[in-house]
This record gives sequence, structure tokens and C-alpha cells, in this order.
Amino acid sequence: MRLCNLSTSLPGWLSRRWAIALTLASLALIASAAVLGAGKAKNEVTPAGKADGKADVKTDTVHISFQTVPPRKAMVKWGKKSLGVIPVPRPLVVERPRDSGPMDVVIRASGYLPVHTRAYTFSDSRVAVKLTAPAEKKTLFGYRQEAPQNPDGGVQVPEPVAAPQPQ
Amino acid sequence: MGAICAIGISSCHAGTQTHSSTAPTQNLTSVSPAGPSNQPGAPPTAQPGGALPAAPTVAVPAQGADNLALVIHDGKESWLDAGAATRSGYTIVDFGNDWTPFIFAEQVAPDGTALHNRYRRVFVGLANDTLDEDGTPLPAGEKNYLELYGIPPSFGVLQGRFLANEQQSCHANISQEKLEEVETITYIAPEKMHADEQKMARLGRDLEEARRKNKVATLADLAQKDPSFAAKVKILERRAAEKAAMTEVEKRLACEGMFKRGTHHNLGIYDDGMRMAVRRFQQKNMIYEANYLRSKTMDALARPPLANDHLAFMRVLRERVVSAAGVIEDGSVDTKAGAPTYNNRAGQSAPLRNLAEELTQSAAEQLGLATPEGALAFFKRHPAADFQHLRVAVKLPTLPEYYGPNMDLSIVIDRGDVWYDLPWDASGVRHPQPRKHYPSFHLYLKYNNQRILLARWRTTVGGWRAEQASDGYEYFRYKGSDVGQRVIRNIVAGPVWIAPESTPIRSLLKTKGVNNSWQRVVNYDELGPGFLSAYGLVAGYFVVPGKNGKPDWDNGIRAHGSSDYLSIYSSEGFSHGCHRLPNHLALRLYSFILRHRPMRILGDQGMGFARQFLVGDDVFEIRLPSRGYSYQLEPPLPVDVLEGEIKGTLKSPVMTYVPKPGIKYPGPPPPVRNSAEGRAGEGVSTKSEGEE
Repeated sequence: MRLCNLSTSLPGWLSRRWAIALTLASLALIASAAVLGAGKAKNEVTPAGKADGKADVKTDTVHISFQTVPPRKAMVKWGKKSLGVIPVPRPLVVERPRDSGPMDVVIRASGYLPVHTRAYTFSDSRVAVKLTAPAEKKTLFGYRQEAPQNPDGGVQVPEPVAAPQPQ
Repeated sequence: MGAICAIGISSCHAGTQTHSSTAPTQNLTSVSPAGPSNQPGAPPTAQPGGALPAAPTVAVPAQGADNLALVIHDGKESWLDAGAATRSGYTIVDFGNDWTPFIFAEQVAPDGTALHNRYRRVFVGLANDTLDEDGTPLPAGEKNYLELYGIPPSFGVLQGRFLANEQQSCHANISQEKLEEVETITYIAPEKMHADEQKMARLGRDLEEARRKNKVATLADLAQKDPSFAAKVKILERRAAEKAAMTEVEKRLACEGMFKRGTHHNLGIYDDGMRMAVRRFQQKNMIYEANYLRSKTMDALARPPLANDHLAFMRVLRERVVSAAGVIEDGSVDTKAGAPTYNNRAGQSAPLRNLAEELTQSAAEQLGLATPEGALAFFKRHPAADFQHLRVAVKLPTLPEYYGPNMDLSIVIDRGDVWYDLPWDASGVRHPQPRKHYPSFHLYLKYNNQRILLARWRTTVGGWRAEQASDGYEYFRYKGSDVGQRVIRNIVAGPVWIAPESTPIRSLLKTKGVNNSWQRVVNYDELGPGFLSAYGLVAGYFVVPGKNGKPDWDNGIRAHGSSDYLSIYSSEGFSHGCHRLPNHLALRLYSFILRHRPMRILGDQGMGFARQFLVGDDVFEIRLPSRGYSYQLEPPLPVDVLEGEIKGTLKSPVMTYVPKPGIKYPGPPPPVRNSAEGRAGEGVSTKSEGEE
């Protein structure tokens, strides 16, 4: 059940390969959590709240798990405050008061571009962040190819084209 | 009169009833913010037609105070059982600090499951100055001032304003006379200030010399003796009055705490510090005007603080009364000839009433709150804790006979004058595209074989907008509003706009203080949910209904709330194709529709959306956990978008990207990208930065 939750909550940009990697990481995590017992709550991954925001049991706090894809040791900073380093293969789990507002964090891993992302405190959640090496940044949306030295500029007035019609 | 007698009699019956000046607090913790009138599908509590039933039994606090409502009669306060009061024709108006419009109220599924709305907590926190737009705690003493954006202050916040202004002594040092002397204050850019002062000094010297030559005592005498000087004298006098008024404006804004800590302002100069303070003042007083010292802003600055506070109180009361009674008519359909009429069941012609105004005034008068002094006394006799869950019972005028739980409503949008031509030429020079008829939003009711126009508001249609193409460059694209028949099937409260990839990246970032660090973050303000969202606080989704089992066709057009009020009221304002309404009107509209049409509450629409984009050497990730809180109309609401009048040469829109003048591109424009979400967005227009 946990595995289903995990894979269905993955963002669309994650490839199948990384989904499998994350699943394996979660399996390892569940196994280690079972060994460690309930005493080390901060290192456990708690089940994510339902996608519709309704958690089965509402506590005063929520747990946010930070992971990277591929799994790498990465520093998670929330403003000036360091939340810690992701202890691969386990995630970094942070406890926050429920409904205390979002956290805008920056995740930095050596050899990768820093990622600015957001974690929410509505319910327990996972933040699985894809890392991109600088050499791969052209694969990211927003990458801008350089304009040639002497291109045509100015304004062209194209011919009108009919608008698409409803099916 | 009957209503007043009823209250009096019931008070007399309760010989042991104490006229406490404070709300009973025992057992009051469980009062729902959504009173009986706010329950899904419940009819409005002000009953249409017919006489009011008998007076209710007066509740005794010992029976349990959690269902009591305050009534005020001749200045004396007493408590009624809210349920009995409702059955007797009272309307329960929620005065609690945890009030929200119907669309953000706590809802329950048919199986009894609570359907939690993520944005409700933020809405309440913003209204109470306890949370910021992200839902994080607001530093002590900070104010939100979001009424202009659809979030009215709570009565608790208003109480604070009334009491603080009463004790504030700095207002005594402000000359109301000097403020009233000018209608506006001319804006002079800070960098032109010195040159302007020199010009005025020169003009003063010239006129003084002329006065001496003409041997008259004053410049006014000079203008009378030689009318050729009259215009110059007028300019000099007006500027002198404006300078004096500017000093008073600065004093007034400082006295009201409008200059935020950390902002810098040079006295006498309309710099950024001043502009921000004026904007806060406009937000506080719900003034739809650009951030300059124009007529509405100057009028408010010249009014005593208590008068402004009372106007704010009446606006807040209006939202609560409109919500409690479930009405929409606000006089917006009136013309110079007066209110339009309709034929009632008896075949008589009846005027369409301005129910928002009428009911609000009625409530204010019954409660003794129609004057600034009355409202101040009310706030002084109630401790702040009373406003946490306070409910008030009033007898409102009877609603028109056409009211009911299932009203035959429909929407018509007139696009007004529409231009498809490019608004600039090959050299990038803009050409005006004047409009006489602006786009308008109409809410109709079919009743008794006639179509009654209930409300008419200004709205927006699409126009030329900047869009980011797949090559990473921005182009212009015509983003028009579809014409023809549609329906609204889904209404989403606290909607989230999933920025399409065509959104210019510069509008997806903002700087924000995060844990003592000033950093760039994804601009969730624009994505939502929130009052600044591209979809505002609520959106109705236009679709063409699918036939023969096919799904609805959604081309991304919505009628939604918007914080960009200047785009709605400005002659130059356009959207990306959607029809924008000021947030407070959108909230009223959709709350009204949901309460007078069969509907289903779908609740929070969870999703796990994430998308990354690159800015320099940093990756930014958009994460959206929900699409918003959805209601489904069954049957859907008919919408008809009229073509309007096509102006100019082109009679159909350009459907390809058009390069921006002066920009060097790597090649020809790539093909346009279409997505439903591409019809919203606020941040980028075709205008250059700095243009108003």
C-alpha cells in the first residue's frame, strides 16, 4: 500500500527508472524503520496524507520527507536555517506543525544545480526532487539558446488563421 | 414595525433575560461559522413573499449559549435561540471572525464526511491579520488590508481600527481644510521634481513682476485685471495648494501607519515609499484607483478616520448580509432612468430592487450601526472575544417573489468593441485602439416568461499578450475570448492555475523573505490558491458540453475573480481570454449561484503536480498539491458570449506568434502552444515596463 502511495504521488517528470529506484529506496526505508522500531520517529517515513488533503488521523504535526533523484547526499536549507543533509538512501524527515504554512527550501547536492522547491504542511508528504547536472541543463524548460549575431528582427504581420473549433 | 414589536414582546416575556453587553461565552465554542443560511442547498433565510411568522421564544443562556444570536432593539441587546429566530423570519448574520463566503464554508458530504477546504484557514487568517498570503503567521502588528482583493477584514480587525483611531491624537494635527482644497495632487516623478520646482519659481517671479507693473495688490487681482495671466495664476495657486495638501497627506498616511517599517520616503516627493503608502491606504479603504493621489483617494484622505472606518464597517456588513440572505442584486443594472422593472405574478410591473444596499441598510438601522458613532459604541461595549463567533439576528425586508432554491439563471458576456489588428506598427510604435463599449458580464434570471437582468458588471476579454515560445523567447500572441454558447459545470473555490509552459518565466519568480533570508522563490501568488492568483479567489470553468458520450471541450476560458482590478476598469485592460471580475463580486456571484442552483460538492481536488524550470544556473520547481475546491452544477449553468463589434481591418484573430519589435530572435517563430491554462495569467502584458 505504501508503495502504491509512493508511485502515484511521483511527479510526471520522473522516469520509470527513477520510480523504480525510489521504490527500492522506500523498501529499504520501510525495512530499516521496522528494525529501528517506533522510538526514532524522526527517521521514519510516515504514510502520506490522502491526495485530497484528508488525513485519516489528524495530529498536530506533519512529517515531510525530502529525497533526491538520483539519491544523493544533499543539504536542505530553509532560508538561513539548515534542515539537514539527506542521509541517502533514507530521506531527510522534518517535523513541522500542521497547517503552519509552506516551506520554500533549497536543495543543494555536489555536482548538480541547486533546486528551489516547496514543501506543504497540510499533511504528511514527500518531496522527491529531480537533480540535474550542469551539463544537462539544456534539458530543462527555460533553457535559452543563444540568438545568432545577425538575425532578422522587427515585426512580421502574419495572415490570420481560423481559430480551432470545439470537437 | 411588526418585526420591532415582535422583538419587544419576546423580550418582555423573558422576565429573567439579562441584557448583557457581552456575548455569552459558555458553550459558545462549537458555533459553526456557517450558520443555517450557509448550509448547502438551504434556502435563503429572508423568505420571499408572504408575512413573517410569529416571534421566537427568547432563549435563556442556561439552556446553552452555543446557538444564540444577538438582537439589538432600541440600543438594548438580548439573545435569541438562533434556530427559533430563523423559523420566525429572522435572518442570522454571521459577525464571527471565522466567517467566510459560502464557497469557503465548511461543507459536508452526503455521508457526513467533512470536506475540508485548504484555503479556508488562510482566508480567515488573512481577514484577521494573523496569516500572510502563504498561510504563515503574520508578524505581530502587521496588517493585511486585502479588502480591495476580495478579503474583507473581520469585525475583530474593524474593532481594532475603530478603537485605535479614537485614541489616536495625531489626527488633530492634520488640516482637513487643506486636504479638501484640492481635488487631486499632480504626480511629478521624483527625477523631475527639481526642474518642476524651478519652473514654478520662475513662473512665480514672472507673475510677481507683472503684479508690480500692473500695480495690483494680489495675483488674483492681476488675473482679473489682465485675463491673459489668469491661466498662469491658476496653475501657480493650484500647485501651491497641492504642495500644502501633500504635506497633510504625508501626515495623514504616517498617522495611520501606512508607511511600512523599512521603507524610505523623502518628504514632498512622490517616491516609491509614498506610492506604497498610498497603495496601502487605497487597499485599506477599498479604493479602485491607480496608486496616485486622484479624486477618490483624496476624498478618503480628507474624510475623518471614523468616517472611513464606518464606511469599511458598512462594506463588511454588506458582505455578511448578502451572504446571509443569499442575494446578488446590487443596483448595477440601474440606468439613468432608474431601476429596470419586471412583471410579477400578479401582472404588475415591479422595480428590480438593490437588495445588497436595502438589506444592509435595514440591518444597520435595526442594530443601531448605521452611524459612525453607533458602530463605535457597539465596538466599545463588546470585548474582542465576542467577535470570535458572534451571530446577529435581524429581520430583513422580504425578498422578491422570484427567489427560490432553484432559479433559472444564465450568464451573458458581451465582448464590447474588439480589435484584432496589431496594436503597433513595424517600427514598434503603438497605435491606439479605442473602445466605446467595454466588455460586460450579465447575470440573468428567467422568471414568469421574461428575462430579468439581476446584475451587470465590467469584465475583461482577451487581447495581445506576451507569451514564451518553445525556443525560450517571448513573442506576442493574440489571446482572444471565445464566442458562442457554453456552460459552467464546475466552480472552483481557491482555484489553482497551472502555469502553462508558454508563461514567461520572469512572471513565475518573485523575491521573498524566507527565514531571515531574502531569496528568489516560485511566484505561487500567481498560481494560487490565493487572492492574487491568475484565477482569483474563485473561477467558473466555461466548457462546450460533450455530446454522445464525449467529454466536455474546455478551451481554457473562465469567468474568475482577479486582483488586477485595473485590468477590469481601465480602458487599456485586457486578459488572456478569461473574463475577470473583482474578487469580491466573483465571490458573491458564485456563492449566489451555488445557493440557488442544484449542485454537488466535490471538495478538494488533490493532485501531485510538479514542474521544473531553469533560471540562470538555478532550478526552480513548481509544486501544486491541489487544483482547488470544486463544486459541480447539475444541470450546468448556461453561458452565452456575444461577439461584440469588431473594429479595425482584421476581422478574425491572428493565430500565430508575432515577434516583439526590437528583439533579436534565433529564427522564425515556432508553432504556438495551446493549453487550457494558457488563457489566464496576470503578470505580463504587451506594454513596456513603466507604462501605466
